[in-house]
Amino acid sequence: MRNRLLYAVLASLLIVSCTLDAHEDMHGGTQRTAPAADGFIAPIPGSYELPVVSAAADGAVLDDTGATSSLHAIYDERIVLLSFVFTHCVDPDGCPLASFVLSQVGRQVLRDPALRSSVRLVTFSFDPVRDTPAVLAAYAKSFRRPEMDWKFVTTKDEAALAPILASYGQTIQRDPDGYAFSHQLRVFLLDSQGQIRNEYSAAYLRPEVVLADLKTLTLATPDPTPIKPQSHLARAGDDKTGYENHDYQTQSRAISARGAFPRTPLNFDAPPLGLPPFSALNGPVPLPSHAALGRRLFFDRRLSHNDTIACASCHLPDQGFTNQELKTPIGIEGRSVKRNAPSLFNVGYQHRLFHDARESRLEQQVWGPLLAMNEMGNPAVGFVLDKVTGLADYAAEFARVFPDQGITMETLGAALAAYQRTLVSGNSVFDRWYFGGDTAALAPSAQRGFELFRGKARCVACHTIDKTFALLTDRELHNTGLGFERSMRKKPASDVIVGPGLVMNLKAEASAGLNEPPVNDLGRYEVTQEPSDRWKFRTPSLRNVAHTAPYMHDGSLATLADVVRFYNQGGIANEGLDPKIAPLYLTNLEIGELVAFLNALTGDNLEALTRDAFAQPIGDRH
Amino acid sequence: MTLKATRALLVSALATFTLGLSPVVSADETCYSPYMAKIVGQEDFMYIWTLGVQGLGDEQDKLVTVDVNPSSKTYGKVTNSLSVGGRNEAHHSGFTDDRRFLWAGGLDTSTIFIFDVHSDPAKPKLVRTITDFVAATKGVVGPHTFYAMPGRMLITGLSNNQDHGGRSGMAEYSNEGEYLTTHWMPTDDALEGAAKSGKIADGYSYDVRVQPRLNVMLTSSFTGWNNYMMNLGKMMGDAEAMKRFGNTVVVWDLHTRKPKKIFDVPGAPLEIRCAWGVDHDYCFTTTALTSKIWLIHRDGNGEWQAKAVADIGDAAKIPLPVDISISADDTRLWVDTWNDGTAHLFDISDPHAPKKIYSQKIGEQLNMVSQSWDGKRVYFTSSLLANWDKTEGPEGDVQYFKAYDWDGKALKPRFNVNFVAEKLGRPHQMTAGAYALFAKAPTAARTGLAARE
Repeated sequence: MRNRLLYAVLASLLIVSCTLDAHEDMHGGTQRTAPAADGFIAPIPGSYELPVVSAAADGAVLDDTGATSSLHAIYDERIVLLSFVFTHCVDPDGCPLASFVLSQVGRQVLRDPALRSSVRLVTFSFDPVRDTPAVLAAYAKSFRRPEMDWKFVTTKDEAALAPILASYGQTIQRDPDGYAFSHQLRVFLLDSQGQIRNEYSAAYLRPEVVLADLKTLTLATPDPTPIKPQSHLARAGDDKTGYENHDYQTQSRAISARGAFPRTPLNFDAPPLGLPPFSALNGPVPLPSHAALGRRLFFDRRLSHNDTIACASCHLPDQGFTNQELKTPIGIEGRSVKRNAPSLFNVGYQHRLFHDARESRLEQQVWGPLLAMNEMGNPAVGFVLDKVTGLADYAAEFARVFPDQGITMETLGAALAAYQRTLVSGNSVFDRWYFGGDTAALAPSAQRGFELFRGKARCVACHTIDKTFALLTDRELHNTGLGFERSMRKKPASDVIVGPGLVMNLKAEASAGLNEPPVNDLGRYEVTQEPSDRWKFRTPSLRNVAHTAPYMHDGSLATLADVVRFYNQGGIANEGLDPKIAPLYLTNLEIGELVAFLNALTGDNLEALTRDAFAQPIGDRH
Repeated sequence: MTLKATRALLVSALATFTLGLSPVVSADETCYSPYMAKIVGQEDFMYIWTLGVQGLGDEQDKLVTVDVNPSSKTYGKVTNSLSVGGRNEAHHSGFTDDRRFLWAGGLDTSTIFIFDVHSDPAKPKLVRTITDFVAATKGVVGPHTFYAMPGRMLITGLSNNQDHGGRSGMAEYSNEGEYLTTHWMPTDDALEGAAKSGKIADGYSYDVRVQPRLNVMLTSSFTGWNNYMMNLGKMMGDAEAMKRFGNTVVVWDLHTRKPKKIFDVPGAPLEIRCAWGVDHDYCFTTTALTSKIWLIHRDGNGEWQAKAVADIGDAAKIPLPVDISISADDTRLWVDTWNDGTAHLFDISDPHAPKKIYSQKIGEQLNMVSQSWDGKRVYFTSSLLANWDKTEGPEGDVQYFKAYDWDGKALKPRFNVNFVAEKLGRPHQMTAGAYALFAKAPTAARTGLAARE
């Protein structure tokens, strides 16, 4: 009963609508961006892409004259708008809507010469029992003007129907009364190559949208918007500098900016000014082939057990080859790592590796993170080697670079070590002033900072400067009291930043029940078991230190000024405090000058190193 | 008479005609996914995407089916459990537009599991696993929202493979599981034509909802892999990490997928729910860190605007509003706060001035909420993220799936499935299934099936 009444109303409305086309306001080429009366804003043809969804399937059909044909013959290399209906359907958001919209689109197509010559409408009935060619022809008369290119088709029987419906993802259920079907309205847009480019359900089926899509298919694909050239690739892509302030503004970089710039070969003929000769490296001078393979491995997330973490996940090229966004990194499955990821700048000159100096060569060191259960989480050396061997992009490359060895514990380590040894950075403003004799290179405040550095502030006692080079580390381990403080007197933070310039003083309920993992860290003692080694950590180099925040072994100090203030107070008193550390009595002005000096230790090739790294695609599961 | 007016007349006349028979014949679902089949009657099942836990049961992620039909003999019981292998940080899930398949994602490994839920709604089958999501999308990590579009799925990501931070994008896949394209959230160097209404274009991503009748899509913003995988207590003590939360809602042109306007919405706006009414041009979101309800609305000039319209509890206690659910008549909004395990009901009859009218503690922690179409049945789950969840609390109140009846005044408990005692894991998103969807429904369009999220 309901169906028949609906059908009557619908039929009358369709008749009305069919008489209205003379006054429609959708002229071809008119680009309307203002909202329509109901708030709808139509898209501008050609301003967007319609990605290929899949190839439109073929199948045997009958047309409304009773002639046999195939869908592909019906499509005939035209742009096709294809609806799936049954003619007895009365759902207002179903088949009648589809036929109504197709008729409206058809009228507009007739008015547009480009569309008229290229667009065909096709209505497919999935009710071959009831919708005979004769019924289809009668149905077509209600919607199709004689001059329209509009085919009405069905199949000869239900057996021929099933594969077509399956290939177009159409599910139909005959209603219990046997009269109607339960189905979801779906209209397809096909390009002239017979590829599905869009699909519409009732919610999305508006004539102006369909027309925009038809026109878009006749226009050239727009060029992707170019990424604005960035002169600061060595800055974190998600820079949050100044986030504490209400007037913070983002300077975010597109993810797609990585790889948008050509690689410029790194200059590796001689060490830059300020660094020792290559003979002082902790291993062989890197061969380009070794380094290239190592770089690929370094940026491959598949080197972790569950394919989520690369070396570069914690040593990010645009974040000073450390992670500026975390105090301490996060390992596999989110497991906590207790120490700050050390920067890898000039790591080739380090002879004692890790914060507790437990490793001696980079070739060996790389296996530490690979196998640590809270870092990359691999269960065994053999597992890693087998996995890399199984990755299509590595076997041939290893065979080429290490012809007699292939993929072994040694060669994988050698490749990663070689890449890391290319991360040499010097020729800073300080180097040009101190070693290069350019007396104007270093600003006066930084010069005063340098005098403090090797004088009153006594930094040079551990951050050493030699006659012809300066690694700015004594390669020794020291107890500054910071580790002691963390182990013995930990106090929870109560101020938390919750938005730009929004700092909230939390109440106790905020963190009740949250289980922060223990962060105890006894430093060198964990290697030697010597009580006198408690809370001793390795002296880091200060090269590029302006780009390697956060600071200290636990990443607990956010800025260089914080670090200087920490030493100005004499570290933190404890039984094993290094005797070189004592209160410095620096003024605020002097602290600023020291920071100015530290900022002058930035090498001249950070952009080049970042660009070189960004040219390497990230390795992911295929 | 214009064409649109004609169509509107056509549709509204028919809608009016059928009003007594079915509540929303002409309106599409705008809050879950437009034109997805809806369950307006009794749902038979809840499919609960569940995170595996080390040391508990088989330790892996699984899709758990619970019988929720009160007339069934197994009402309130786990009737099926389908383990998928590994721990992937099981999180959200969503049906395809025909509701025959359920896509469920892992935020850690970016693996996507596709379940057949129509062949036997009581026993979902794993039919496809997408393992190359990150490579295919050119770097999107952490598939989050699975949102049905005609013939395809829109999938928001939470992170990226470069810095594991919050910059991310949306991917489109065909219903068959083939990758189609990626849309990155606008960043300062790639605004793609979007206007910054404030100072922020962080490129972060979280949820997506669409209003097809307005050709509008909205996205929100959370945080990246580093933070959502990190221990929550550790993160709150890391000032740099706390700066890496999203502060934006983006208005998009739905059809072209181009961003149009970026709103500053500080404090991690998460779930987006749009009003259902055909003249209700607004959506809600809640901010996790600043504990506010925000209204994203179209003003009298047709311009989209954003404003904070209500507080949710005491922000200094970080109640952490998570999932929200809007009623079919646009008058009520459930808001779950995770940290205190409480469900709040807001009267949103005036969307510009929501008023809290009811609160009920559900458990030690509370994340997701789903309600039946008529609002009489409300379901809750507990888990937020593997390394954020609390582990201590009363038996049955830590990791649970709880069913309640809502009589308009109070929640009445019906049953509780203790996911720890059942050795299942941590229950996250719920989606409803029904036999009627695939066999007994007269027509999908007419019955308008769907339990709303």
